[in-house]
Amino acid sequence: MTALTIILRKPALAALCAIAVLQASASHAQQATEIRLTYSKGQFQPSQVSAPADKPISFRIKNLDAKAMEFESTSLRVEKVVAAGSEGVVNVRALKPGRYEFYDDFNDKARGALTVQ
Amino acid sequence: MQRVQKVRRVAVQTGRGYAFALCVAAGFLASGSMARAEDPSSWREIETKYIFGFTLGSGIGLEGEREVTVDSISRFGKRDGHYAASETKYEFEFTPSQFIQIEFGALGSTHDIGGVTGLDNRSQIALSGAFAEFRYLAIERTSDNPLAVTLAVEPTVRRIDETSGERVQSFEFETTVNADLELLRNRLYAGFNLLYEPEVTKTALGDTQREATAGGSAALSFRILSNVVLGGEVWYLRHYDAANLTAFTGDAVLLGPTLFIRFTPKMFVTAAWNTQVWGREVGSPAAFNLSEFQRNRVKLKFAYEF
Repeated sequence: MTALTIILRKPALAALCAIAVLQASASHAQQATEIRLTYSKGQFQPSQVSAPADKPISFRIKNLDAKAMEFESTSLRVEKVVAAGSEGVVNVRALKPGRYEFYDDFNDKARGALTVQ
Repeated sequence: MQRVQKVRRVAVQTGRGYAFALCVAAGFLASGSMARAEDPSSWREIETKYIFGFTLGSGIGLEGEREVTVDSISRFGKRDGHYAASETKYEFEFTPSQFIQIEFGALGSTHDIGGVTGLDNRSQIALSGAFAEFRYLAIERTSDNPLAVTLAVEPTVRRIDETSGERVQSFEFETTVNADLELLRNRLYAGFNLLYEPEVTKTALGDTQREATAGGSAALSFRILSNVVLGGEVWYLRHYDAANLTAFTGDAVLLGPTLFIRFTPKMFVTAAWNTQVWGREVGSPAAFNLSEFQRNRVKLKFAYEF
């Protein structure tokens, strides 16, 4: 029995998967707003950024420090480790208006916020 | 008889021991918070899934996050004799998208039962089954909307009966609604659960039993430090001898404190203790419902994220 057969025989699971797939595809169908951040000396630059509501967002984080950082946000529901001297991309769903904080999970002092309006 | 009373005392004391430890830890941490006032506006937002004890918050983790967890629930106290049982989930959970969380794992159980009417005496440890859980975030919290709601389903198969410890073949399909409200930013949270849990069990004698548990909970949790949350919860549970909720057999109210501590950004523990404060069994004048529910239950969960 394939995994697909198992899922189709369970209406609740099928419904959950269908909703997730629809949400993901709807989000990616739109052009993402790109936000470029650099991480240097344990700080985000810029630390305050903004983006339009109801459009997906793509964070491009360049880590200029000599050690890895982890871009993380509870309200954005994303995390990604960016190695020293490299760049990481974090894709975020289309967001409702509001303020969304982000931080480096390895460094409590590195904070920033995204304002969606 | 003396031995039974002694063992019963030990079981009760074990439950009280957990509760005492929880209270001592809470008091210690609360006094610490008073000693050093912190500004909650500078705290990171908290993941709410595990801050309400047995009540689950709406959190589904972060996309790309993985977690290994040991989640143990112990239950103590029946009408007579001595009763102590536990079920532990050894689980792996991950968040493949910003709306879905998936968990799965194995179940281990222990049973120490003696002199309980309707249950065989036994003392055993067993690998008792397996489970999976699928969580979907239906309403997300924003800075303008304090409410978040997650829908969850959890199919579970068991080869050992959760209550009696007997060999069975059992299938359970727990469905829950996990909602929470941020009442004070970074400080005070309310959690609410709705539960419907049908189960079908085939016993060793070949009988098939159908039952269901339904109910709900409300919880309040206060973040006393950036990494410590204290609270309390109340559960109302109803039991039926039919999956479609037609054969009501009894209900109960459970109440108790909760504690959540994040030791490091990637490691936390959550603990809760519920005691039955009211209950009734259909056809019995006795106080409490100790046929379908226990007098005390204790939850202890340790998690490591990576």
